Amino acid sequence: MKQLLIKCAVSLGFMLSLYTLNIQTVMAHGEKALEPFIRMRTIQWYDVQWDKQKFNVNDEVSVSGKFHVAEDWPVSVPKPEASFLNISTPGPVLIRTERYLNGKPWMNSVALQPGGDYNFKIVLKGRLPGRYHIHPFFNLKDAGQVMGPGVWLDITGSPSDFSNQAKTINGELVDMETFGLGNGIFWHSFWGLLATAWLLWWLRRPLFIPRYRMLQAGLEDELITSNDRLIAKGILIGVPVLVLAINAMTISRYPNTIPLQASLDQILPLSAQVNAGVVDVETLKAEYRIPERSMTFTVKVNNRSENPLQIGEFATANVHFLNKDLRAAYQGDPNSLTAPEGLSLDNAAPIQPGEQRTMTITASDAFWETEKLDGLIRDADSRIGGLLFLYDSVTAERYISSITAAVIPKFN
Amino acid sequence: MSANISNRSFRPYTGEKARITRAYDYLILVLALFLFIGSFHLHFALTVGDWDFWVDWKDRQWWPLVTPLMGITFPAAVQAVMWEKFRLPLGATLCVAALLIGTWVTRIFAYHYWNFFPINMVLPATMLPGALVLDVILMLSNRLTVTAIFGGAAFALLFYPSNWPIFAMFHMPVEYGNGQLTVADLFGFEYIRTGMPEYLRIIERGTLRTYGQYAAPLAAFCSALLCVLMYTLWWFIGKWFATVRYLNKI
Repeated sequence: MKQLLIKCAVSLGFMLSLYTLNIQTVMAHGEKALEPFIRMRTIQWYDVQWDKQKFNVNDEVSVSGKFHVAEDWPVSVPKPEASFLNISTPGPVLIRTERYLNGKPWMNSVALQPGGDYNFKIVLKGRLPGRYHIHPFFNLKDAGQVMGPGVWLDITGSPSDFSNQAKTINGELVDMETFGLGNGIFWHSFWGLLATAWLLWWLRRPLFIPRYRMLQAGLEDELITSNDRLIAKGILIGVPVLVLAINAMTISRYPNTIPLQASLDQILPLSAQVNAGVVDVETLKAEYRIPERSMTFTVKVNNRSENPLQIGEFATANVHFLNKDLRAAYQGDPNSLTAPEGLSLDNAAPIQPGEQRTMTITASDAFWETEKLDGLIRDADSRIGGLLFLYDSVTAERYISSITAAVIPKFN
Repeated sequence: MSANISNRSFRPYTGEKARITRAYDYLILVLALFLFIGSFHLHFALTVGDWDFWVDWKDRQWWPLVTPLMGITFPAAVQAVMWEKFRLPLGATLCVAALLIGTWVTRIFAYHYWNFFPINMVLPATMLPGALVLDVILMLSNRLTVTAIFGGAAFALLFYPSNWPIFAMFHMPVEYGNGQLTVADLFGFEYIRTGMPEYLRIIERGTLRTYGQYAAPLAAFCSALLCVLMYTLWWFIGKWFATVRYLNKI
């Protein structure tokens, strides 16, 4: 029996050792866990770029990009009436120093309009050295987090190099890393000492069993002495007087304080960038072929521009399926989730000005599976949404159309 | 010896008995300290939560309403035990001191060293002045009703003025992004919290606008009224837990 136990313990130890050796750094923020229809049909990110990915502590780095708020917003997801553009970080390893929406500084939350187009920029500053996987993302009130594309950032240098100062309206320069800390510790220590003194005053004498016995014996008066009463009266009067006096001194020291600010910023969408009117794309049907991991759209394209157009890209949930003939036109980060030959057309000829063409577009790649987007067919809301990028064959101007359709699964 | 001892036959413990009862005191005190550090801290984190965690949540309306209301619970229950069974007027102070020990440990090790937040961004509030007054009112009055009304009210009313010396400086205005923020708001904007979007904060929401901009006193008096009721409720919860039914002999 003993030998069996030893063998079991050794085996368990061996397995645990293997597991420990195999532990890997977490590389994601649960973005694949969010239901596909939310990732595809809420915030549709594109052209997201970081100005650098290696920098020192105290250096600034910025991320900028665009997003379209889907018109076909899922009925089960609350409308984005309060939204906050955030950065996924493992704690404040960077600080956010500036943030802009449509070129306007933006400190609080904002109501986004479905169908609206926005551009953004966030300026960050390195605080703690390390290698971090970072995403811009939206916190949507009552809906959750919708991640933008992620990158790895390398911050080098020493934590002690970091400095962060702010200037109050009164001109006082404050060090955000230490401001108010000494003062806070002082007042906590002050009241902590008074409380400790009060506790020790009672704890120095026999406590539970002797006092319980005396109380049961009717000797209650002997448990509270006249000195106890005197000190209690001192506390009863002294503590409130002290609190109010210190409070009055603080008010006179900081006469120009303001309450916390929590308004909802008002920033309107840009003039239409997606579905801007020159090109109309209507989705007639969408089928997902599970064995081939490919989504096939039947779309009707109406080219009302003056030049021929070609379809170059389909993007959904941060995955970009590119037409291999137009890869050079792609404006996003080629290192993010990009299928460089993932988009194929049944008719690759340019769509001529004034032409209305019904055509089939197929987006194929393992990304449907690895990004857990194929789970769409098992969602209660199995509609897909995304952006279709078309390019002017003459001027290379880009037109973007949002497409959406119910998805029909093909199991064989 | 029976738990009900007559006055005339009472003899204090001496010698070995006295030494053992004192050792028992220390044993209970250490256990009680850790119990209150853990349980009150957990209760406080789950109920007051972000209002106590973050400097940019400490508003004029909800912070002084919610914090004393949730903070008076354990003190009331422990006072019921300590006073009714032992005539020890230290239940509130002991609880709040234990809460602060747990809070400071968490802020330093979990928030600062583990999650990299500057400690000044997560400074806890103190309820010690209110707890001291609550203890002495119970001791001097020896009445639940008096303690609930005056002690409960004092616990709530003293909260905001006793914390303003710690947090006033975080309410200095800063011009930022073409608007004004407090230094506290700036902490919230700059030091990134992935799970804490700005809109989650509950800052002066509601319809209590009748008294203009005097939000804090109004919230404090509202809290005082509620604390009277909460104190009474938790006193009886404490009394219900403090059974001596298993104590046949001591």
